Amino acid sequence: MVKIDLSRTSITDANEQIRASARDRQDVEIINPDARHNIGVGLVDPITVRVRGSAGYFCGGLSDSAHFEIEHNAGWAVGDNIYQGSVVVGGNAGAIAGVAIRGAEIVVRGNMGSRAGQVMKAGTLCCGGNAAFMAGYMMYGGRIVILGDAADKVGQDMSAGEIFVGGKIESLGNDTMIVDMEDHERDSIMEFLERYKLSYKGNFTKVVNAGTKLRYANSEPRTRPQPFFVSSQSSNYWNAKVQEDIWIKGEVGRYRIRGYGASKPVPHLNDIAFVKDVSTVAARPEELEGINLKTTVGGRFGAKPISLSMPVMIAPMSFGALSRSVKIALARASRLSGISENTGEGGMLDEQRAEADQLIFQCLSGRLGWNVKDMQRADAIEIYISQGAKPGLGGQLMAKKVTPELAAIRGIPVGIDLRSPSRHPDVLGADDLVIKLQEFREATFHKVPIGIKMGAGRVNDDIKIAYKDGFDFVELDGLQGSTGAASTEVLENVGIPTLSGVQEAIDGLREIDAGDDMDLVMMGGIKDGVDVVKMLALGADCTSIGTAAIIAGGCIACMQCHVGTCPVGIATQDKVHEARYDIDRQSLNIHRYFESVRWQIAAITKALGYDDVHKVNRGDLVALTPEAADITGLPFRPEHRETRRPLTGLELLSRKAG
Amino acid sequence: MCGIAGVLFKHQGSHEIGKTLIEMLDGCQHRGPDSTGFALYGEKKAELQLRFIVPVEDQARREAIDNIGILLARHGASIVSEQSVGCSYQIGVKFEGDLLEFTKDIEDHAKLVSVGHTLDIIKDDGTAHELDQTYHVGQVKGTHGIGHVRLATESAVRPEAAHPFWATGFEDIAIVHNGQITNYWKMRRRLERRGFTFHTDNDSELVAVYLADKLEQGESLSSVLETAIEDLDGTFSFLVSTPNEIGYAKDNLAAKPMVLYETDDMIAIASEEVSLNRLFPGQSINSSEPAPGTFQTWSRSI
Repeated sequence: MVKIDLSRTSITDANEQIRASARDRQDVEIINPDARHNIGVGLVDPITVRVRGSAGYFCGGLSDSAHFEIEHNAGWAVGDNIYQGSVVVGGNAGAIAGVAIRGAEIVVRGNMGSRAGQVMKAGTLCCGGNAAFMAGYMMYGGRIVILGDAADKVGQDMSAGEIFVGGKIESLGNDTMIVDMEDHERDSIMEFLERYKLSYKGNFTKVVNAGTKLRYANSEPRTRPQPFFVSSQSSNYWNAKVQEDIWIKGEVGRYRIRGYGASKPVPHLNDIAFVKDVSTVAARPEELEGINLKTTVGGRFGAKPISLSMPVMIAPMSFGALSRSVKIALARASRLSGISENTGEGGMLDEQRAEADQLIFQCLSGRLGWNVKDMQRADAIEIYISQGAKPGLGGQLMAKKVTPELAAIRGIPVGIDLRSPSRHPDVLGADDLVIKLQEFREATFHKVPIGIKMGAGRVNDDIKIAYKDGFDFVELDGLQGSTGAASTEVLENVGIPTLSGVQEAIDGLREIDAGDDMDLVMMGGIKDGVDVVKMLALGADCTSIGTAAIIAGGCIACMQCHVGTCPVGIATQDKVHEARYDIDRQSLNIHRYFESVRWQIAAITKALGYDDVHKVNRGDLVALTPEAADITGLPFRPEHRETRRPLTGLELLSRKAG
Repeated sequence: MCGIAGVLFKHQGSHEIGKTLIEMLDGCQHRGPDSTGFALYGEKKAELQLRFIVPVEDQARREAIDNIGILLARHGASIVSEQSVGCSYQIGVKFEGDLLEFTKDIEDHAKLVSVGHTLDIIKDDGTAHELDQTYHVGQVKGTHGIGHVRLATESAVRPEAAHPFWATGFEDIAIVHNGQITNYWKMRRRLERRGFTFHTDNDSELVAVYLADKLEQGESLSSVLETAIEDLDGTFSFLVSTPNEIGYAKDNLAAKPMVLYETDDMIAIASEEVSLNRLFPGQSINSSEPAPGTFQTWSRSI
């Protein structure tokens, strides 16, 4: 038994000592815990940690196989996301006890706070006393056993799993019902209670999902694809797309869902030009060799930064929205081009991890596919707050794509229209986010960068929060960013353009004298190396490319990503369709596309007179439209609108002569 | 984007409220590193105590203090004691007129942050311990108090935007708030129509003015808190203090944390148990988490 005194030891040192003890198979006793946060986070060995007193937030969180015994109370989110293992709380637990567990046994002998078991997937959460409101909120599986009373809205928006309540139920949540309990369920609960020495003789009321909201009532009819490039032309007020939209709404009686991003014209990087004439540079590859494009992201607090061969990442896109084959191709292309790949929502694939040199692991609100072991093999962690295509909303994955394989990795029922929660269970403000960030740092031993992904909305405030909360990097996504599925109203109308986003971010950081230690990665409609250089000149440190990479790898931009029967095997989980996707060929196409991006970045950097892409600056840019000038504060120079004509051979000769 | 704390000692006497709140706020300083504030209730003074935020630069500070002198003279208030420390200027004045009219005029021309015979609000940029160094908060003894740590998103971190907020026009009342009032503009316009002026866009100031307005109409603190939960939309946990009471209100969604611990001698409330546990190091305490949509008040014996 190893004894750790938290009145003398920092939580980071204590967690390191706990891990060392675990390697020696030594149990640990924590004295003077005094409700400190993140005790035992990130532990993946089967030992027992005894906390002699009360624990703060996330005790035992992001762990696997360990056992925790907390003598007294526990704060918010006790046992967060535990796979196997257990936590026993002798006193009361705060809000969201057992959040997102995937197999753990969590026992709270006293009362537990609100939203207990939110987005849990498997395992048992048991409460000896009373549960506050919304127990089982948005749960996807597992069981909650409450021996006392349950307050309002039991099982609110649960998708699956069971809630057994011994005492009084104040009220049931949306889409739930009471059903009879099976004998074997009672036997199993009694065995569980006996194992944890909880005596209970009474009956239970069993609450389950009523199944009225798991699927959209009307599915959207297949339409003849009207490609993005057609539908976004704004020449007609009542064009074919508008007409079709009205017909379909008349049929399904709700908002429509589609893939891709906003298709309306908004001020963008095309409305900005370089001051210098960059069209005449004779950029033979060998001339560009001396131009530095190397970029690092996330070194703010000494973690090992993501190291990129150019200021480009592959944007976060999920296994789910995209097929396994595409995720493998993207991972491979990222390695070939020396850039990074991102898991997006929905978990990390082994093949993806093996193919990518540098992989960012994303944490979303539903904690789908989220787990400590993949965190510990990621090169960076990113907490998703929202995305440019649908700021303020969670992801959507239509039933067709929720296959048994996909449901298993995410920990959800097969075949539901998955609508991920719009907010994190344990982050309801910048204040909670600080503690969450600390939990991630503890789980990854302070070794990898931790970033925050945000859709551009109130960027000026959000960027300051990101900075002050201590993130290593921000990935900021504008209105033009794409998605696998979202409501068209949100896609077209919510959020602000990427150009406004980057400007607000730069202004916001300047307002608080933030310096440049937190890296800003901009995304949302970046299509080539020209856009990348413009974005860096505006003030970003790096960019992230999603849609263009998908198109390079065979996407035909039909915007039907949500349907699940992608004709080219990209946005699908259907094996027949996926078989059409040639990983070897498409990964090389994506890789070659990124090499063209590299060539463009280097050529323009050289044409602007620099030997390093990070030297480009706002002085290199002008605005071509009043809107772009107003947004960015760049000088308005409409005369630059005229496309510069390439020089003819004769002109070139005469120039050389002169 | 903040952490809150409050403590009330139930029995008469002089208690270490400064030290207690410093400990509690230091315990949750991670929730708000930019600014810190205290509302402390000490012995009742004969003169009305006012505290202003003034510039720290010499010239501007002198001008601000001169200006305050002129304002006070205009209302026939005479300065009995004065002290200029940190970003603040604190005075005791003899004043006999209508307080609401007096403070309304002063607030239009100076940054008045604390008014009362027992209350003193001390707030500034920096941490609880940093404020203690400048203002010697740890030496303050009294009966009860509330405090706040804040993460700011405005351009400059300004001490006047820090909490606690004094309830405009109503002496010896203060609030601290964690959360966001989403019907801010609706409620603000309603109160502006009733003659109240706002000096920041901070939603916590709104809570203070809202409470002051109701209290002025003679309602009890607990009935005011009850209607506040109905009237205010959003996510919030806030604490309010009066000369003899302390109370909390928590929104219907329980989205903002709050725990409390009560003994025969005291009640302590904080955003996180780690703050409460600071008062009882090495011990386990029987804390509890208030239910959503609830409020409660405690008073000291007088």
